[in-house]
Amino acid sequence: MSETAVAGTGVRAARLLLTDAVLPAHGPAEPTDPTPAEGWRSHLAAFGPRPGGTPALVAALERSRLTGQGGAHVPVAAKWRRTLAGHGPLTLVANGAESEPVAAKDGTLLRQRPHLVIDGLLLAAEALGAQRAVIWLHGDDLGARRALRIALAERPWEGTAPSVELLDGPVHYLAGEASAIAQAAAGGPALPTVRRREVPGRPRTLVHNVETLARIALLARDVEETGTRLVTVLGNGRAVVEVESATTFTELLADLGWTEAPQAVLLGGYGGLWASWSRVAHLSVDEAALRREGLSLGAGVVAPLGAWACGIHQTARLVDYLASMSARQCGPCVFGLPALGERLGALAVGSADVGRLLDDAASIEGRGACHHPDGATRLVASAVSTFADDVAAHSAGRPCGSGALAWPELAL
Amino acid sequence: MNRAPSAGLVLRVDPVACEGVGLCAQVGDRVVDLDRWGYPVLEPLGSPADVRAARRAVRACPRRALWVEEVDPGL
Repeated sequence: MSETAVAGTGVRAARLLLTDAVLPAHGPAEPTDPTPAEGWRSHLAAFGPRPGGTPALVAALERSRLTGQGGAHVPVAAKWRRTLAGHGPLTLVANGAESEPVAAKDGTLLRQRPHLVIDGLLLAAEALGAQRAVIWLHGDDLGARRALRIALAERPWEGTAPSVELLDGPVHYLAGEASAIAQAAAGGPALPTVRRREVPGRPRTLVHNVETLARIALLARDVEETGTRLVTVLGNGRAVVEVESATTFTELLADLGWTEAPQAVLLGGYGGLWASWSRVAHLSVDEAALRREGLSLGAGVVAPLGAWACGIHQTARLVDYLASMSARQCGPCVFGLPALGERLGALAVGSADVGRLLDDAASIEGRGACHHPDGATRLVASAVSTFADDVAAHSAGRPCGSGALAWPELAL
Repeated sequence: MNRAPSAGLVLRVDPVACEGVGLCAQVGDRVVDLDRWGYPVLEPLGSPADVRAARRAVRACPRRALWVEEVDPGL
């Protein structure tokens, strides 16, 4: 992928949320050629003043079928209804702690359109009657922090909404996990927790992804659900692009300068799902279309795997990475994920039992406090079905020739 | 709880609190198995005997990581 190709044409006509960005292959969303952040005046000129937030917005959210863009794609309207029905002091969190190593759409959005995200946060806080409004970032995301500080300082104070707190989370894969954020916002450690019982009247926390909030800010201004998707595509570096949801994966990669078809793509991130290229090439970059195929765009990551690489070998490294990023609280995750990584690694060099690998994966599923282990088990299951030919060859004792990895080495 | 005791009851574990001591599996036959690392795998409570076993497991846990919860059958 050449960097000039990212400017692209054709399939990306309307850009409601951001300008395409090219970034290094990992680390915070620091672009190689930064687009300046939208200031308060140009934000007002582009979108007009922020409407007040009222519970009536739920109907608009319902119509738009907006889902959570952090990866889980839970309908926002359902979250709002549950929150409106509850009692107890409410903290609303804008989650900008994008933790998938490839993902950079949220960081890019915060750098380019901080005011739109703040609008969404204040709107939601007003509509749901929140006492606190928090923006939660990775501790190392200095660019997003700078953009938000400038935006908050230049923004006139709005009487009805709570003031916005900027909180730095740890630099960790699980720093963006909702129950960890809830605990951290209440002064505890940023570690995933299990809620044992709903206690009416207890303090509550609602976590929304920053892209979700930006889309809420557009919806509240009657900008119809935009029909665009923000995706981070891994190539020779990363590209964050906003595409029409009708764009197919073939068009997406061609537009970014891919000349050869990959053998497969990893969708959603390292805790996502593999899909063979023949399965997704004609599909559109749209959550609903992917859900019908049993896939998901997750946090909007598209990582193509070149035809020459070994998917099993690559997945073994990804699972090793996920194992290293366990919060080390729950037994099934602490012991299960390294076991999965070991079995996959053994499979890659031609000596493992696929049945036991899948049994281990199934025995871990759903047994952590958070969904971190589930991401790994689904990744393993999707790798075994997507790279079935490699699995058959490796199980028959033929290790992969190169053992080369398609993607940059991960810091474990 | 004077309705059929197994209706809508589930045994749950807080995996953060659980340290894999394993007493639950000794007293909670049929409803608690241990995985190969010694952590509990919980089965559905199908009969009053299962519920009694689950309550024994809850009482046995030195980390207070287990509980029996009534679930809304509408969910």
